[in-house]
Amino acid sequence: MNIFLHELKAYRKSTIVWTISLVVMAMIYFSLFPAFSKDVDQIKGLLEGFPEVIRNGMGISLDSFGSILGYYSFPISFVILIGAIQAMNFGVSILSKEVREKTADFLLTKPVTRAQVLTSKILAVVASLVITNVVYIVVANIVASIVKNDDYSFKIFFMISITLLFVQLIFMSLGFIISVMLPKIKSVLPISLGTVFLFYFISFLSTKSNEAVIKYITPFKYFDPAYIVANSAYEMRYIIISLVFIIVSIIASYVIYSKKDIHSV
Amino acid sequence: MNVIELNKLTKYYGKSRGIEDVSFNVQQGEIFGFIGPNGAGKSTTIRTLLSLIYPTSGSAKIFGKDIVEFGPEIKKEIGYLPSEVFYYDNMKVIDLLKYSASFYKKDCTDRIKELAKVMDLDLNKKIDDLSFGNKKKVGIVQGLLHEPKLIILDEPTSGLDPLMQQKFFDLLEEENKKGATILFSSHILSEVQRLCDRVAIIKEGKIVKVEKISTLKEDNYKKFKIEMPSKPDEKYFNIDGVNNLEVKDNTIKFMFKGNLNNIMKKFSTIEISNIWIEEPTLEEIFMHYYSTEEE
Repeated sequence: MNIFLHELKAYRKSTIVWTISLVVMAMIYFSLFPAFSKDVDQIKGLLEGFPEVIRNGMGISLDSFGSILGYYSFPISFVILIGAIQAMNFGVSILSKEVREKTADFLLTKPVTRAQVLTSKILAVVASLVITNVVYIVVANIVASIVKNDDYSFKIFFMISITLLFVQLIFMSLGFIISVMLPKIKSVLPISLGTVFLFYFISFLSTKSNEAVIKYITPFKYFDPAYIVANSAYEMRYIIISLVFIIVSIIASYVIYSKKDIHSV
Repeated sequence: MNVIELNKLTKYYGKSRGIEDVSFNVQQGEIFGFIGPNGAGKSTTIRTLLSLIYPTSGSAKIFGKDIVEFGPEIKKEIGYLPSEVFYYDNMKVIDLLKYSASFYKKDCTDRIKELAKVMDLDLNKKIDDLSFGNKKKVGIVQGLLHEPKLIILDEPTSGLDPLMQQKFFDLLEEENKKGATILFSSHILSEVQRLCDRVAIIKEGKIVKVEKISTLKEDNYKKFKIEMPSKPDEKYFNIDGVNNLEVKDNTIKFMFKGNLNNIMKKFSTIEISNIWIEEPTLEEIFMHYYSTEEE
């Protein structure tokens, strides 16, 4: 419990900054919605000029651009991108910072098991991400209900929004596994930015012919807002893939970290 | 009773040697020195004991329990001070010490205050703003605040001024009197000599000797220095027990171990103008030990 609280405190500032950026971004995007929905045909005409790949990548679906939930798939894709960077940053740094800042000796000579250390740290990251999501969803919902042109289902809004947390958990797990496998990580941001953008750009490569394959590769394509709006449900296979990935990489992190030598500085 | 038992403890880093077949015991209530030059394997041994790294082969027990299997349990009663201390920079000293104390299920508030007072440490400063020596003091308080039964020190004195070193040694002796066992690694012989009862000498990953400090000193080595009226004949003193023979101008120096009568007889038949017979310092024994081992 003490490690958990210590880590939570250590990530407090960072969590606040990331949360504010997500919220501000959502506010800016939603504030554009009234202008978009008013001249929806004109905007559609304009957007048709964009290549379809770009439109898909940015989450713009022309058919539903006039309703707030349809429009939402556009901002949420950016929110998820930024959120993924946050999650990956936390995931990579929470163990590697002990090595980088040379505090691993302090922590691991205390009467705790490696597993307890890792559990506390994972829970601290998850808690930070949950806090981010709660604040984001509350604020985004308030802003959306101000700018809406028609009533919308909060359930669907929530279902779309919470995919932020799903994608974050995937990248957090990826961050963990990377941080226990690499011997020493000098700088976190290049790793997390690089990885997240790699998957983000892969999602741009999606075309009609290879869509099925790409969808499995990049978590940014796992939760399609258009599908959620149409079906009030997630595509189960991607939920399963996500869960399997998260569970496997976290278990692997435990195994590797428990056996890892902590080298002196 | 043995507090620490090492049984052929071996650690390889990939193919490169860490330590090989290290075996020795540390008894309860003892201050045990662990000396050797840099890179000999002192830290490797200590880090293995603390299960920061895991042995390649062999085993070790602390308080009779296996270090790998019972690591967390054992560490409840261990205080550790590394040679270089690093803590969470943006924390205050008192917060760090409280965090450290929170791992042990006892109230350490008074103890923290007491230790900080002895070590003259300002509890309200940020760790980031502390000098190297002051960080070291935080390390000392942090290592002793839970009144551990075993104190493990890895070259602990670097960065401390002589006054603080003295206070620190007093503190250790006090803990020792209260029953704490101490494992003290160092490459500075004088501090080992001053504190320790027994010492293990490690060289290139292997233990070369485990000995009482007193025995090591009493090992009947005498340091001879003789001044003669003319250039001495090197071969004259080439008898059993003479080591490290050195001739410079009219003086001859050597170490001797053996029956003193033999060497005295040698002196009686030559002309000498001056003679010094001294107890060698531990350092000299140690150097001697190292150089003879190499042959």
